[in-house]
Amino acid sequence: MAKNVLLVDDSSTMRKIVSRSLRQAGLDFGDIFEAGDGLEALDVLEKEAVDIVLSDINMPNMNGIEFLREKSGRDGIKDIPVFMISTETGDDIIGEAKSLGAVGALKKPFTPDKVNEVLGPFM
Amino acid sequence: MGDFSDIIPKVVAATVEIFTGMVMMEINQEGEPLTELGIIKDSITGMVGLAGTHKGMLAVHFPNDLALAITTSFLGMDVEEINEDVQDAVGEIANMLGGNVKTLLTDRGYDIQLSLPSTISGEEYTFLADSDLQQIVIPFTAPVGNFFVELELEA
Repeated sequence: MAKNVLLVDDSSTMRKIVSRSLRQAGLDFGDIFEAGDGLEALDVLEKEAVDIVLSDINMPNMNGIEFLREKSGRDGIKDIPVFMISTETGDDIIGEAKSLGAVGALKKPFTPDKVNEVLGPFM
Repeated sequence: MGDFSDIIPKVVAATVEIFTGMVMMEINQEGEPLTELGIIKDSITGMVGLAGTHKGMLAVHFPNDLALAITTSFLGMDVEEINEDVQDAVGEIANMLGGNVKTLLTDRGYDIQLSLPSTISGEEYTFLADSDLQQIVIPFTAPVGNFFVELELEA
């Protein structure tokens, strides 16, 4: 069954690019929800049937690491997989994200082919 | 940190990767790097600050026509004036380049944090570096104008 996706990025342009790249990559997905930071993402996860989260790290109000930490403590949503999409893909910060439950990372900039290669197994 | 000239080719490569892979626009690095840009006219600048063990800034300076073309390509819809979409797109390019510089510096063992991106625009403005920062300005050519990537790093 097609999976519903939540895109979390403070850049509306980047949310549109990720959404377009998912289509261009030929991945099978259902509804796409959007959030501008971690706080908004938590709100969407509590209200909507989201199957996978694609999240930036460097965001205002609640960044991607804080979002993972907060989400991991909420029973109803803690098991929804999160994929980091960020300019920051150093071992330190991605290691911290994975220790908080992130299942992988995609580096910006990316191409639809790269999106397919990295996200395909999770869709 | 000393000389950072070895970072420049990697910043050039990252810029080309962003434009060819995500903006879908062919660009080239042409001309010798500059040490300052002078007065910037009818342009928009995106920037991210670097903080931590070394401070600095990464900025991209686009003439308005090029910024509109970039945003149009990014969004897949015509954009005809400098608006929030253009500011967001230009800021995101600065953010991606800043992330790349952060990775390069982290690989050298430095602990760097990135600020959120911001933009400035106007008919005429000047972009000045702190006197204790090394400054280098890399010129690029694009189909609808020339633009500059500026890197300032603590010596």
